[in-house]
Amino acid sequence: MKRRQLLVAAIGLAAAPLAMAQSFSGKTVTIIVGYKPGGGYDATARLLARHLTKHLPGNPTVIVQNMPGANSVIAANHVYNVAKPDGLTIGTFNRNLPIAQLTGVSGVKYDITKFAWIGSAANESTILAIRTDLPYKNFEELRKAKEPVVIGSTGPGANTHDFPLLLKDLVGLNFKIVSGYSSSADIMLAVERKEVDGRAGSFTSLLPFIERGLVRPIVRARTSEPGIEKLPVDESFAPNPRAKAIMALRSAPEQVARPYVMPPKTPADIVKVMREAFAKTIDDPELVAEGKKTKMDLEFTPGDQAQKILVEVMHQPKDIVQEFAKYIKFGE
Amino acid sequence: MLEASWEGLLLVLQWKPFAFMLVGIVVGFWVGLLPGIGGATTLALMLPFIYTMQPVEAFAFLLGMHSVVATTGDITSILFGVPGEATTAAIILDGHAMAKRGEAGRALGAALTASLIGALIGAAALALAIPVVRPLVLTFGSPELFMLAIVGLAFIASLSAQGARGMLRGFLAGGLGMMLAMVGQDPQAGVGRFTLDTLYLWQGLDLVPVLVGLFAIPEIIDLAVRGTSIAGDAPVGRISHGALQGMKDVFRHISLTIRCALIGTFVGITPGLGGAVAQWMAYGHATQSARNPEERKGFGAGDVRGVIGPGAACNSKEGGALIPTIAFGVPGSTSMAILLGGFFLLGLVPGPDMLTKHLSLTYSLVWTIVLANIIAVAVCVLLLNRLAGLTSVPGHRLIPVILVLVFIGSFTSNSHYADILVTLLFGAVGYFMVTAGWPRAPLVLGLVLGKIAENYLYISVARYEAAWLSRPVVMVLLAIAVSVVCYPVYQAWRARRRGTRA
Amino acid sequence: MHNKASLGLALAIAALSGWAIFSALEWPWKAKLFPMVIGIPLLCLALAEVLWVVFGSSAGAKAADFKLTQDQPPEVVRRRTLVATAWIGGFFVAIMLLGFPIAVPLLVVAYLRFEGKESWLLSGAFALMVWGAFYGLFERLLHLPFPPGWLLEWLGLA
Repeated sequence: MKRRQLLVAAIGLAAAPLAMAQSFSGKTVTIIVGYKPGGGYDATARLLARHLTKHLPGNPTVIVQNMPGANSVIAANHVYNVAKPDGLTIGTFNRNLPIAQLTGVSGVKYDITKFAWIGSAANESTILAIRTDLPYKNFEELRKAKEPVVIGSTGPGANTHDFPLLLKDLVGLNFKIVSGYSSSADIMLAVERKEVDGRAGSFTSLLPFIERGLVRPIVRARTSEPGIEKLPVDESFAPNPRAKAIMALRSAPEQVARPYVMPPKTPADIVKVMREAFAKTIDDPELVAEGKKTKMDLEFTPGDQAQKILVEVMHQPKDIVQEFAKYIKFGE
Repeated sequence: MLEASWEGLLLVLQWKPFAFMLVGIVVGFWVGLLPGIGGATTLALMLPFIYTMQPVEAFAFLLGMHSVVATTGDITSILFGVPGEATTAAIILDGHAMAKRGEAGRALGAALTASLIGALIGAAALALAIPVVRPLVLTFGSPELFMLAIVGLAFIASLSAQGARGMLRGFLAGGLGMMLAMVGQDPQAGVGRFTLDTLYLWQGLDLVPVLVGLFAIPEIIDLAVRGTSIAGDAPVGRISHGALQGMKDVFRHISLTIRCALIGTFVGITPGLGGAVAQWMAYGHATQSARNPEERKGFGAGDVRGVIGPGAACNSKEGGALIPTIAFGVPGSTSMAILLGGFFLLGLVPGPDMLTKHLSLTYSLVWTIVLANIIAVAVCVLLLNRLAGLTSVPGHRLIPVILVLVFIGSFTSNSHYADILVTLLFGAVGYFMVTAGWPRAPLVLGLVLGKIAENYLYISVARYEAAWLSRPVVMVLLAIAVSVVCYPVYQAWRARRRGTRA
Repeated sequence: MHNKASLGLALAIAALSGWAIFSALEWPWKAKLFPMVIGIPLLCLALAEVLWVVFGSSAGAKAADFKLTQDQPPEVVRRRTLVATAWIGGFFVAIMLLGFPIAVPLLVVAYLRFEGKESWLLSGAFALMVWGAFYGLFERLLHLPFPPGWLLEWLGLA
């Protein structure tokens, strides 16, 4: 009896990789990006697409399709409701979509925690940097600034806006936030023009300007990256636990900075294969080399971890969410 | 500088970059010709293919492709009345009208020559500006950009028909355009404005479906009504022979050509105005060159100056747009934004380095633009007869193809069915505007500039409070805007006086 | 026709700007400033145009853009316009129901055959060419997504 069971189990185990190995060959895997071509999410997806094939059993073709609209809510809705859970559709979209769901944005037709999570392909850290020729060299000096420091932003919902906004409203820094710039590059131009004194944004996007000596980083959000570990964290200046919770909530999605998901109810074994493929792809030396050229630093956070972080986000107490919504709106 | 310029030329003339440039030209040829494949989208799709190339080769390819798009986009606009690119819509007004009169060859000849001259001027501007680029771009802060948007909007007055009634309708169209520009999430308070509670309108109306609907659909209906070929009853032989005349036209109006090319370059240099504006400002300026109301009425019915202006501006804009892209990493247009991606891909950081350490590479870009445009125009000229001949194909054979292109064109910008609805809706709007005698150009201007004006106004006020009004460049631009608005009024007054005297 | 269209447009714009001003009232001032500043004059201009059309002389308008062709008698114009509109609308419906890959050749064949009175052979060949170019370029080369069409989805054929 036992022997036969063991035999059946052994055959089952042996057959399983075969079944999985056949699951992708000859097929096409589509990565749906919630943005137009050319942006960061799109570039990451295309980089992954180029190298994912060799790490998926059966070596399927991997293509990228763009489905822009509503800051990628449309793409998320599509992957959640319309795409088939057969492992052939992957979605990647705005990392702030949990915030959209949390603050009750109308039109949201997904539950971020119920996607079949592959993981996050990168972490992101937001920092605030101000022009080097200003007399404020660190956070304490900035705090004591008598004149308002002008910070340029693109609009509510973007980290260029939200990060300094919380520093202003919760920590009390003397900022004047001027929003409406069409892109973060425009803000940098304004910095050069001395129209604004600084901006917040992802470390990767600010790095060339820091290296050039145009701006100096002052404070960062919770996620750390090599180069900015020594910067003070914004949450450490929070005057009370509620403010701290709000700041933490804002920066939580940054740990899942490049989310990759599959439709809910995708079979667990396919999700597992995909996670492994992603992990291997991100470690693939060719991808790393290509990424270095484009200054894309990919780092895999497996889906279960990502899901845990987001479940925590979604389960914040109501009063914190309400307070949060007063400051942060969903946008970019 | 001359040394770097020479080095740059030699870089491009090596066989590999040259070959890649040719490939880029071929790709760009079709991209511009077919509505629905935008230059920007294709650039983005091509990016991954270049990462193994050397910088010079890659840029020869990308720029070769990019420079040609505006030229061939003009062809689709002239022949079929369908904007081949968002940036080539203005040329439809007079270019397609000429095609309908059987003057397709002349229009094409004029457009191609004007494009070439425009591109050369844009490239020259880029080359000459390199030393002064940084201070130049830095003088244009948000208040100046706001004023520039106002100048652009002032052209609504020129684009309207003459007379008080004409102005009224022009401003109605312009105002409608500006209201439409406000659809979407506003960047000040994050409120979703006029979104009708749909996700689709959350980011605002996309320009391409609107343009395609507004201009192409009335033309298609008109073609169906006429029941003939595009060129109507014009004798077949005449159609393609006008090309030489078109080229001569450009030189006959050489100062207009140069002025419009400068407008285009200027718009290209100022980051933040977007690519679609240049052609309309150039068109508006071209209409100002009409010497009397009779001539003014001729615009829209097939005045070759209405082809020359936008044609030159479109291509010169690209050379201008390269300036802030290279010097600051701030893209002067959407396609430049993607080109920037190419820079990063190749490990080049735009900024002062491009103007010092990599100066010869920068000059190779200039030369690529020049050479690519020359080659593209040469090829188009060779194909001119065939192309112009399309206007004598019976209309009913063309209509399904044009319709397919129109629908694909509007769908593929965002992969949304709603975009096609927008096209149909604006098709109806365009049709009624044409029936009612309302000008459509102001609507486009309002749509394109509305949001820009609003954003920069807020930034200016937030940053400078009232002080920005007294900045020198701002005042100069205000004066220009006022004169642009008053010029048609002045023209009408002068014509009336001449009329009463005669 | 001319004046009626103008009247219609002006009324539409008046209604639209009225609605816009009304919706903007409840927004924070930063969001509503521009819509008000543009909307209120727009409403006035639109009403001015309405009054002008209703009370003014009909000699008012000169075309600023292009003129619709005047060569054909008005009934022919009207009929052909309606037919063309029907084809355009029909194509849209076909795309929604059947998806681009099927609607495109269908339109080409149908139009050439029924409007153009071409032979089945020519229509078919043309449609094949167009479909081939469309498929080759957009689907294979560029991988642009073309959803299959609602009817096909309902029937489970997608």
